Amino acid sequence: MADNRDLGNRYEDFKMMNEFIYRDELIETSAEPKNDGVNVSINANRYSIIPAGTGRYSVELNGIRKTICCVIKDNKSYVDIDGVLVELTIPSDDSGNAAGAGGGNVEKDKVYAPMPGKVVKLLVNEGDEVTKKQPLVIVEAMKMENQVNSPSDGKVKKINFADGDQVDTDTPIIELEIEE
Amino acid sequence: MTKKLFNRILVSNRGEIAVRIINACRLLGIPSLAIYSTADRGAVHAQSADKAVEIGPPPPRESYLNIDRIIEAALENRCDAIHPGYGFLAENPEFPEKCKKAGITFIGPSAESMRLMGNKVQSRIKMANAGVPLIPGMKKAGADIAEFEKAADKAGYPVLIKAAAGGGGKGMRIVKEKKGLKESVEAAKREAKNAFNDDTVYLEKYIEDPRHIEFQVLADTHGNVIHLFERECSIQRRHQKIIEETPSVALTPEIREKMGKAAVNVARAADYLNAGTVEFLLDKNGGFYFLEMNTRVQVEHPITEMTTGVDLVAEQIKIAAGEKISESAIIAKQTGHSIECRIYAEDAENGFLPSSGEIIYYKEPAGPGIRVDTGIVEGTIVGVEYDPILAKLIVYAPDRDLAISKMINALKDYKILGIKTSLKFLMDVLAHPEFKAGRTYTDFIDRNMGERIIDKKLIELAAAVSSAALISKPAISTAGGGVKRTSPSPWQTIGTWEIGMRISK
Repeated sequence: MADNRDLGNRYEDFKMMNEFIYRDELIETSAEPKNDGVNVSINANRYSIIPAGTGRYSVELNGIRKTICCVIKDNKSYVDIDGVLVELTIPSDDSGNAAGAGGGNVEKDKVYAPMPGKVVKLLVNEGDEVTKKQPLVIVEAMKMENQVNSPSDGKVKKINFADGDQVDTDTPIIELEIEE
Repeated sequence: MTKKLFNRILVSNRGEIAVRIINACRLLGIPSLAIYSTADRGAVHAQSADKAVEIGPPPPRESYLNIDRIIEAALENRCDAIHPGYGFLAENPEFPEKCKKAGITFIGPSAESMRLMGNKVQSRIKMANAGVPLIPGMKKAGADIAEFEKAADKAGYPVLIKAAAGGGGKGMRIVKEKKGLKESVEAAKREAKNAFNDDTVYLEKYIEDPRHIEFQVLADTHGNVIHLFERECSIQRRHQKIIEETPSVALTPEIREKMGKAAVNVARAADYLNAGTVEFLLDKNGGFYFLEMNTRVQVEHPITEMTTGVDLVAEQIKIAAGEKISESAIIAKQTGHSIECRIYAEDAENGFLPSSGEIIYYKEPAGPGIRVDTGIVEGTIVGVEYDPILAKLIVYAPDRDLAISKMINALKDYKILGIKTSLKFLMDVLAHPEFKAGRTYTDFIDRNMGERIIDKKLIELAAAVSSAALISKPAISTAGGGVKRTSPSPWQTIGTWEIGMRISK
């Protein structure tokens, strides 16, 4: 046991800094190996985390031990905390901005399909004034109709698709003109 | 040795139900043939059968719905029977017709009973004549909006608009007042047209505080028709069932007996053969109304299997081979309590949008009374081509409280990473006091489950664990994205390092 403690102490000064993005929020972490686990600091909070098998980590919170699953693939970290799934993006060095491509593009002045699918019905025309959360278009994906709402107040500047068109998640269906 | 029922069965489906049917074939000693689209080359169902053939590209029309190609595959591989599963071709009467012409046994009902039950309008008329109670509403499909308005006024709002060729909630809309009627009829027609290529919709009175109760029936070629009790499937989202249980807390032995008799009458009136399900709405006062009959094996069939001990898919195969319903099924009793949760690839924290991607971590729960029916493994890519059902988790316990508790724990132990799933949402439904109290009406989700947001503390905890994962596994983390301001982990230089290993005594 004594040797275990030594192992931690040997790297006492080592710290690994990481950044994660959840939606539009940046989380900075500082991790250091300690004994048989890792101590992580986020703001003023400290977490003591012990690896417990492939993709599994044991954490004690308020006196209760939890096993949390976490797998990192490409630039994403996938975490399961008692069934709550959290997907964090790990920003890469070369891409300056945080909003990466893929899975649910969110921009204030562009409206994307949530999934690749078909435009069933456009509910607005170019030039229309729209309000935040107003339904703009119905997209069918996986045999279900999904209503896509406006991300902000503004005016419809451009519509890039017509009813019946196939859409992917990279090209905006509707572009908005918004006041900053 | 008992006589061989079939030479080889073609399983005309994919995912968990294809795997379930293949397992039943194995149990009965019958070789099976799986079919798969090019998107499913590595899928579990394609690997599970004794033989598998590729039948076409990913779009269902060109693969899982391509009747001629499937029959050709059956003939080429000396299959003398086809099991359709649920969905896809399971309720398309053309399929049993073409099977018959090709000399292949269709494991299911006749094209005629399928056609009758597939038409919700005609089946209601037939069942009304057979003395089965119905919900007030339109006697036939509406031609123009005025007809719908008239019928809605007569039945009284709220009203329900349904696709005549419907199923699975597609083309269905509830309308609370006259104002929204026209829009909803149009939307229902569009959905029906897309899903079934038939935009016929009709209208009926919407029953408030209703429960969805269905009865499992079996009918053989020897004139035996039995029921295997009820399943309550009231917990639905967008009219899709997500949690089913049996027995239902709402049924007294008297109501159960009455409904069971009505279910058997429906099957007899439809000249039904093989396994089927008769769906009823149950109102607050124990009144029940025939909704429709599903002429296939149901997604939720396992809970009946758990509480009666009957293997429904094996019974289907035996009945199709001309055998009698098993004695064990005829004398089966309902014991204990069973619950099924359907696990979907969808984001409950983001409007239940379907989720797709690769499953990068997968661990199933296990233990006494826990069953998982699935067609996924670690590495499976969940695409957008097919229904987003990933798995069904089924538990069995002596009573309802224990079954709920067992299910919540099993859901917690079920780990699927890489895509979004409905696991947490299901846990929250089961843990809800209204669910525990048995107040399970079909509007449970709208009534009890509010907007879902993830607690900020959990996001921070997720980031903490992620940074521990990065430091423990630097080799993976550098792939693709890369990590900012990262020095090489000292653990890389330590050499082999094992958790819990004793370094010295």
